[in-house]
Amino acid sequence: MINLQNASRWYGQVLGINDISCAIEPGITALLGPNGAGKSTMLKLVTGQLRPTTGCVTVFEERPFANPRVFRRMGYTPEMENSYDDLTGYEYVDYLATLSGVPKTQRKTAVESAIERVVMTANMHRKIGGYSKGMRQRIKVAQAIVHEPELLILDEPLNGLDPVGRHEVSTLLHDYGREGRTVLVSSHILYEVEQLTQRILLLNHGRLLAQGSIRQIRDLIDAHPHRIEITSTDARSLARDLMGLPYILSARLDGPSATKVEVETRAPEMFYSTLPEIALSNGYRITAFSSPDNNLEAVFRYLVTDKPAQPKNHLVFAPAETAGEEEQP
Amino acid sequence: MTALAIYRAALRDLLSWRRLIPSVLLVILPGAIALIWRATMPAEDFDAKVVYNVITSGLVFGFALVILSVVFGTGAALQELEQKTIVYLLTRPISRRLVLAAKMLAALTLIIATVWLSMTLLWLTTLGMSGGGIGPLKQDLWILTIGALAYTSVFVAVATITNRALVIGLFFAFGWEFWVPNWPGSFQKVSLMAHLRVLAPHPQPPSDMVDIKELLAALSPTTISDTYAWTVLLATTAVALVTAFLVFSIREYVPKESAE
Repeated sequence: MINLQNASRWYGQVLGINDISCAIEPGITALLGPNGAGKSTMLKLVTGQLRPTTGCVTVFEERPFANPRVFRRMGYTPEMENSYDDLTGYEYVDYLATLSGVPKTQRKTAVESAIERVVMTANMHRKIGGYSKGMRQRIKVAQAIVHEPELLILDEPLNGLDPVGRHEVSTLLHDYGREGRTVLVSSHILYEVEQLTQRILLLNHGRLLAQGSIRQIRDLIDAHPHRIEITSTDARSLARDLMGLPYILSARLDGPSATKVEVETRAPEMFYSTLPEIALSNGYRITAFSSPDNNLEAVFRYLVTDKPAQPKNHLVFAPAETAGEEEQP
Repeated sequence: MTALAIYRAALRDLLSWRRLIPSVLLVILPGAIALIWRATMPAEDFDAKVVYNVITSGLVFGFALVILSVVFGTGAALQELEQKTIVYLLTRPISRRLVLAAKMLAALTLIIATVWLSMTLLWLTTLGMSGGGIGPLKQDLWILTIGALAYTSVFVAVATITNRALVIGLFFAFGWEFWVPNWPGSFQKVSLMAHLRVLAPHPQPPSDMVDIKELLAALSPTTISDTYAWTVLLATTAVALVTAFLVFSIREYVPKESAE
C-alpha cells in the first residue's frame, strides 16, 4: 500500500527524514516519535505534498506527489489547526467532499454521515472559527473520511481531544482498520498509540529506529527503572515510607527542605495503585505527580543509549545548595 | 463542478473585509474626485473630457488597475498558503492547474468588476453628465480588461515562484512601471503600462508646471505602435500563464511552520 525505499528529505541543511525504508499494509499503523522526529515530514511525503530528496515513496504503487489518482483513494487530516474559519463545519466538509469528487446526488448523505461519525452533528452549522480545538480535530477527521478513502492518514489526530473524543475517534479508526483499510496515524504519545494499534514505526531525529510490535517497546520501558516524581508538603516522610515498598529501587529528595521526591521502580503499575493508600493513611498532601520515563523520549533514550540500572534500595538526597550527593544505605 | 467550487471559495476568500473596503473605495474614488472637481470649478472652465482623461490615466490605469492586480493576483496564488489551508486543496484529486486557473479567474473577476464599476461611475460623472459619447468608456473598459489579464498573469506567476510576491509586485507596480517608461531610450518597451497607454491614450492637458517625469517623457517620445503593444501584452500574458501553471504544478507548497 505505502512503500518507502531509502527515502530521505532535507530542507536545505535541515534533515527531515533520513534513509527510511518501510512498507505499510492495511490495518492501523502508528508513526511514533517525539516532536521534531520527522513524522510530519514522512506524512507529507506519503500524502504527496513533498518529494523525497533521495529514495522513493510510492502509494498504491504510484508516486504520490501532485497525483490526483492517489488522492482520490486517500484521506488526510493535517496536524495544523488552520482551517476555513469562516465556514461552518458542514460547509467545510461539503466543500472538501466536492473537491474529493463525491457526486452531488450523494454529497449531502456523505457529509452528514461523516460528521455524524465524528459526533459533530449538533455543531455542524456553527462556524469553525468558534470551534474548540477538539471540535476542530473532529471536523478535520470528518473531511478526511467523507469520500470513504481506502487509505486514511492522520497527523496527530488525538491532539486536543478530551477523553471522550479520543475514545470516539479511536473507535472510528479501529472500525476503519477492521474494514481492511489502511490507517496511518502519527503521535508522540505512547499511551495514545497503545489504544490504537500494536503496529508501530518508531522515528527519532529523522531516522526509523524500530518497526514492529508496540509490546516490544513497552517491554523495553518496563525493563528499565521507571522514575516517578512526586511533589508533597512532606516529601521526606513520604520518601521514607515509599522506601519500605519492596519494588522501589531508590528515592531521591531535591534538598534538605525537600518538596519533591523522585522514586525509581521496576513495577510502576503496582506503585501507582499503592501510592494513594500511602498518601491517605499518612495524611500526605500530594500536589503534583509526573513520570519523566513514561514517554517516548525515555524509550528513545533506552534505544539509543545503554543506561545502567541503579543499584537496588538506595535513598539519595541531593541538596540544591551543594553539588555533591549524600547516599544512605 | 470542482473548478466552480474552488472559484466560489476563492471569490469568498478574496472578498474579505480587508480587501473589500479598499476595492469599494477604488470604485467610488474616481467618480467622487470628478464630482468634487466639477463642484469646485467654475462651470465654464470644467472640461469633462480633460477630467475624464486625467483621472482615468492617473487613478484608474496608473493606480487602481495595478494595485488590484498586485493584491488579488498574488492573493489568488498565495492566500491559502498563508492561511495554511493549501494542504486541503493540494491533497485532493484535482489537477493543480485547475486549482490555479479557478483561483486566477476569481481574482480577474474581482479586478475587472472593480475597474469597470470605477470607470463607469467616472464616465457618468464626467462625460455622461456632459452629454459625451460612450465610445471612450468602451475602449477603456476593453483595454482595462486586457491590462488586468496581463498584470494578473504576471503577478500570479511571480506568486507561484516566491512567497514574497506582494513586495515584489508593489515594487514592480509603483517603482518599475512608474519610472521605467520615462527613462531615455527604449525603456518604455519593458513596461506593460506604456503599452496599455498606447492602446488607450489619454492626452493630458498642457501645463505650465513641468515635473521631472514629464521632462523625461519628453526626452523619450513614444515609439510603440499599436501592433507592437498588442503583441507585447499578449506575449507577456501567455509567457506568464505558462510559467505560473508550470511552476504551480511542480513546486512544493507547504506552510513553513508546519514543516518538521
